[in-house]
Amino acid sequence: MDILVIHLFNALLYTSVLFLIAGGLSLIYGVMRIVNLAHGNLFALGAFVTASAVGQWFAGSTSAALYLLIPTGAFAAAAVGAALEPTLLRPFYRRPEEYQLLVTFGILMILEDVMRFIWGPYPLTATTLFEQMGSIKVGEFIYPRYNLLVITIGALAAVFLWAFIYKTRFGVVLRATSQDMRRASALGVNVNLVYIQAFTIGCFMAGLGGAIIVPGQSAVLGMGVDALVLSFIVVVIGGLGSLDGAMVGALIVGLLREFAISTFPELELAVLYLIAAIVLLVRPAGLFGRTT
Amino acid sequence: MAGVGMASMAHAQEKAKGTIPDKPFKIGHMTFFTGAGAVLGEPMYKGNVLAADEINAQGGLLGKRKIEILKADEAAGTDANTKEMRRLKLSEKIDMFMGITSSGNTPALGPVAEELKLLTIFVDGCTDFLFDKAVPNPRYIFRITNIQSADGSTCALGVAMTWPDVTKVAHIHPDYSYGRNCFDHFSIVTKKMLPHAQNVSEAWPKLFSTDFTPHITKTLAAKPDLLVTSLWGGDYVAFYKQALQHGLFSKMKVATTLALGAAPHSIGKDHPEGVLSGVHANYHFSYPAGNRWPLNKTFVEKYKAKFNEYPNFQAEGAYTATHALRTAVEKANKLMGGWPDDDAIISQLEGMMIPGPGGYVYIRPDNHQGYKDAITGFSKNVPDYPFPILDPTRIITIPIRNITAPPGWPKGEPTSTYTWIDQTWPTVKTA
Repeated sequence: MDILVIHLFNALLYTSVLFLIAGGLSLIYGVMRIVNLAHGNLFALGAFVTASAVGQWFAGSTSAALYLLIPTGAFAAAAVGAALEPTLLRPFYRRPEEYQLLVTFGILMILEDVMRFIWGPYPLTATTLFEQMGSIKVGEFIYPRYNLLVITIGALAAVFLWAFIYKTRFGVVLRATSQDMRRASALGVNVNLVYIQAFTIGCFMAGLGGAIIVPGQSAVLGMGVDALVLSFIVVVIGGLGSLDGAMVGALIVGLLREFAISTFPELELAVLYLIAAIVLLVRPAGLFGRTT
Repeated sequence: MAGVGMASMAHAQEKAKGTIPDKPFKIGHMTFFTGAGAVLGEPMYKGNVLAADEINAQGGLLGKRKIEILKADEAAGTDANTKEMRRLKLSEKIDMFMGITSSGNTPALGPVAEELKLLTIFVDGCTDFLFDKAVPNPRYIFRITNIQSADGSTCALGVAMTWPDVTKVAHIHPDYSYGRNCFDHFSIVTKKMLPHAQNVSEAWPKLFSTDFTPHITKTLAAKPDLLVTSLWGGDYVAFYKQALQHGLFSKMKVATTLALGAAPHSIGKDHPEGVLSGVHANYHFSYPAGNRWPLNKTFVEKYKAKFNEYPNFQAEGAYTATHALRTAVEKANKLMGGWPDDDAIISQLEGMMIPGPGGYVYIRPDNHQGYKDAITGFSKNVPDYPFPILDPTRIITIPIRNITAPPGWPKGEPTSTYTWIDQTWPTVKTA
């Protein structure tokens, strides 16, 4: 029984981070119809910046200060996103999709090299908070408290995002733009502004994913590409452009991965692709995807 | 005397015989400069650079030919790497090829180097498959660091010597050729040495993961006496931090193959002591310690002074490989005069035994593989370093011939060493 609870925590931990990454990817696609391949490295950037802030630059600070420093990675990713959209992406909206893929993939690779240039090739850790929080007892096992914090932040982010999109005026504008960009524009919506805001929020989510997970894991080169592939699996399952889909997709991936590791360890890698393949066969647009 | 070390040992050597051209000697060095593999690739390149600097400070190879290193990124992918090797040879006219980290790349590049007649010393990419199957009769290619099977075997022998009472074993290995190889050789050695031990759990995380919580949970649930893991680099760092918060280290013994091998300084002081901490069965900068093996002392000092970090086994391998080349060139020159052709250099490399920072390396003439005694040890915190090192009082070294298939042993599956252990090692009698 205890072990089941821990397995569930593990799955939710994975789900939280995946949702933040895939949710951002989906949000950007939903509003702007851009598949942002650079997204994975915005997640990595969040991880590296927070790892530096918490583990190096302000390593000696009080723990309260360190908690406040965790979101720095998310803000860094958002800032990069806000700079990228108007400069490198906007000129390509009217071009065929191949151009956008090429440009965002180029950005992915440039970001990877920039991170290597700044932080070098070695893994970066910032585990002070992870260690300070200690562990709770679950039956005869113990479980890191920090992971529970990550799950909570993931859940809060989902609630906030939902409220933001469905309960605020900005959300209405965002959804209107996503449904019909031309008509929204004709009704006086500043589409350029909406685009840059949506892109920034999407990048903020990816950065937040990296930022909250890094104290319990580590920042390594290549983590962004991995995250990108995983978030594609999530959006394939859930449907590209749908936040509910990202949530459900992330949950399915989190639970299935946990189940595979504990029962069929050799299937750990294959199982995610298998489920994505099945969803593609049965519902090509994903569980929550729009068919248009 | 500043230039102590291998370069000066060579200095007993007199002036080169005959006329030597002063054309630079170009080495194409391919390793991981980007991606997660850079944690191994960068030190490899640095080891090559340090040795080249030493040699160039003496005027170059034979006092004339300065070494020039051309970098290539192994992260481009196997297919692109073979093309790059061809380009380096045909367009850049490199005299020699060096490097390679991944076991996926040496079996692809080896045959290409043979076809191009390109003198090559692979530093790593240590899969047994290269000389077992891909290039069973090498002419132009060599490899300097220990063969991969030595890693799992060394770890298993370390366990058998230290914890002979282990009965329940759990495994966590990265799911690629290295992890599989470690699992296979650990298993075959334990079958012989600890016949009462059984596997109770296996987990195969993807290489370059950072979340190991499910694997740790699974391992804890199986209640083993011992966990064996071949995780390395960033993976291992993330793993041990998470394992600490799950209380894993207090519930079982832990044996690793590469924990302190990839980047010694990336492990924190929070890492538990007494973990069997592998260094790829090759080298840890803290051994041989002090001035017991002066080559190591000067190598570590110079490396630290130049790069402000400590060398790992890749740095040691590339450094030794470069000096093996220098030694071969000097010996061939002494015999024949002038600049030796590749055949003369190869004949000197075959059967060569030279001292490197980690000890003597013997290059077997039949398979061109470098062999040095394997080492592993136990993690320990000492005041001199901000990270754990191998406990200097508890180093385990194993003569390499005891754990690798000898010359003349038939090629086998999954490796020749595996079938050799299976068929020739006696099984320990249990009470």
